Amino acid sequence: MLYLFLTFVVLLLMVTGTRGFTLLFGLGINIFSIIALLILIADGFNVLITTGVIAMVILVVAIYMNVDNPNTASTAFKTSLLIMVVILLITIPLEFWASAQGMAAENQDELEGFSLAAGISYPQLAISIIVINSLGVISETSVAITSGLNEIVENKPTLTPTEIFDDGFSVGNKILNTQTNTLLFNFFASTFPLFFVIHSLGYKFTEILNDKLVVAEILTTLICTIGVILTVPITSYLVYRKANSKVKKDTK
Amino acid sequence: MKKNLRILLIVGLIVAFVTGLTYFDSFMYHDPVMKVEQVKNLDRSTSTDEYKNTDTQITQRVTGKLLNTSNKGQTVSFKNTYYRSQLTDTKYNVGQQVILTKGYNPKNVKRDTVLVFTVGLVVFLLYCMKFDRRKLFISVLINIAIFYGFMQIIIQKHNSVLLPLTVITALLISATALLVILGPTYQALMAYSSTIIATTAALVLSVFVLGMSGYSGVHVELNDFELQPYKGVFFAQVIFSVLGVILDETMDISSSLIEMKKELTDVKESTLFKSGINIGRELIGPLINILLFIVIAENLNVVLLYLSNGNSIGYTMEMTLSLGITQLLISGIGIILTVPVTSLIASKVITKKVQ
Repeated sequence: MLYLFLTFVVLLLMVTGTRGFTLLFGLGINIFSIIALLILIADGFNVLITTGVIAMVILVVAIYMNVDNPNTASTAFKTSLLIMVVILLITIPLEFWASAQGMAAENQDELEGFSLAAGISYPQLAISIIVINSLGVISETSVAITSGLNEIVENKPTLTPTEIFDDGFSVGNKILNTQTNTLLFNFFASTFPLFFVIHSLGYKFTEILNDKLVVAEILTTLICTIGVILTVPITSYLVYRKANSKVKKDTK
Repeated sequence: MKKNLRILLIVGLIVAFVTGLTYFDSFMYHDPVMKVEQVKNLDRSTSTDEYKNTDTQITQRVTGKLLNTSNKGQTVSFKNTYYRSQLTDTKYNVGQQVILTKGYNPKNVKRDTVLVFTVGLVVFLLYCMKFDRRKLFISVLINIAIFYGFMQIIIQKHNSVLLPLTVITALLISATALLVILGPTYQALMAYSSTIIATTAALVLSVFVLGMSGYSGVHVELNDFELQPYKGVFFAQVIFSVLGVILDETMDISSSLIEMKKELTDVKESTLFKSGINIGRELIGPLINILLFIVIAENLNVVLLYLSNGNSIGYTMEMTLSLGITQLLISGIGIILTVPVTSLIASKVITKKVQ
C-alpha cells in the first residue's frame, strides 16, 4: 500500500505541479477530521452534534481550499450548509421510520467475537453515515453550480430572477446527471456483494425489499440525490440575492 | 404555469397513492404482518462491558393487531429485548409495521413504505423543478437494468466470471450514461475512449504496484461479507466506484475544450492540451473528496464496532479501512490519469474536427 501511495503522490505532483501539495494538504486535513470524528464518537460524544461540527470543518476545507474565487466559495459554502441541514431534517424522520441502523444477519461472520453492547447510538450513526456520504457530492455540486452561474451573471448583470433560475437549471441538468451516475455506480459497487449474499441466503423479493442493509443503502443513495437536486434552486436563489443587492448598491 | 401545477398535482397524487399502497400491501406477504399499537417497557438493566462501554438492555412487550393472514384483526404480542445502541437489534415503536414469523415472533421491520416514499420524494422534487427528467430517468433505468442482468449472471455462475463481466458491465453503463447525456456525438466517443484508457491504465498500474509489494497491508479478504474471489470482488468494486467520477471529469474537460475551440478558432493543439491540464487540475481535489467520503461512510458501522471493542485506532484502520483506502488510492490514480489522457485525446480530435 505504501508503494501505491507513493505512485499516487508522484502522479499527482506530475499532473498538478505545486498545486498538488495543496491538494494533499486538504486530503490530509479531511482524513484527520474523520479520525477525530471516529475517536470522539467512540468516546461517547453525541453522534449527531459531533458529525455536524466535523462536517462543517470538512466543508470549509473542501470548498475554500479548492475554490480560488472568494465570491463563489462563500455562496457554495452557504449552499452546502443549508443542504446539510435539509439532509438532516429529511434523514432523521426517515431513519426513525425505517430503523435501518447498524448491521444485520448478513454480517454475522464479521460480528463474531464482538461485544454488541457498544454504548454508541447506531440509529444516530445511521444518520451520520448519510450526512458524511453526501459531503463530497454536495460540496462539488454546489461549487460547480455556483461557479457556472456566477460566470453567467457577471457577463449579464441585468438578469431577472426567472432568468437566473432558468440558467441555474440548465447548468444543473448536466451536474444532476453526472452526480446521479456517480451515486448510482457507487451504489452498485457497494451492493453487489450484498445482493450476492442475500441470494445465497435465499431471500424472497419482499424480504429483499424490507432488508435492513438494502434499505439503508438505497436510502443513502436517494437522500444524497435529494441533496444534489435541492442544491440547484438554493444556489440560484443565493446568487440572485447577491446580484440583486449589488444592483441596488450600484444604483444608490 | 397552470399546466405545470396540474402535472405536479398528478405526480404528487401518484406518489401518495403508491406509498399508501405499500402501507396496505400486507396481504401480499406470506408471513404475518403486525401493526404495533402499544409498547411497554418491562425491564431495564444497565451494564458495563470489559471495554468500559455502558449500555442499557431493555425488554419491551410489543402488542399490536395482525394485518393479514386468516387471523386478521387478532391482537398478538411478543417480547423484544434490545440494547439502547441497537447495533443488531431493534427497538419497536408504536405505528411501525413488523413482519412476524409464523409463531408470531418479530422477524423484520416492514420498510417498503419508507423506501417507496423516498423514491417518490425524489421523483416529486424532480417534477417541482425544470430539470430534464426524461434523460435522467432513461439513463438510471437502463443502468439499473444492466446491473440487474449483471447480478443475475454472477449469481448463476457463482462469481466465476466476475471480473470479465464487471468490465463488460462497466463498458455498458458508461456508454449508456454518455449516450444519454451527450447523445451520439464525437464528444461522447472522445469521453468514452478517455474513460476506458484512464481506468485501464490506473488498474494495470495499481495491480503492478500492489503485486510488487505482494499486497502487503492490503487485506483483500476483509471485503464486505468476505465474498470470494477476494481480488475479483475488490477490483470489481474499484471499477464501479470510480467510473462515475471519471465520466464526470472527462466530460467536463472535453466540453470546456470544445467551447474554447469554438471561441478561439485558431487555437493551437498544444494550447488546448495545456488548458485541458489546467481545467483538470481544479477537478482532481473535489472528485477524490467525493469518493473519500463515500468510502469512509460505508465503513463507519464496522469502524465504530472495532473501536468500541477496545481496539487501537491503528489496528481498527488496518482491519476496516485499509481496503477502502487502497480503493481510494487506485481511484485517485485513475482520476489523475484522466486529466492528461482526456486533454491529449480531446486536443487532437478537436483540432481536426471543430473548424
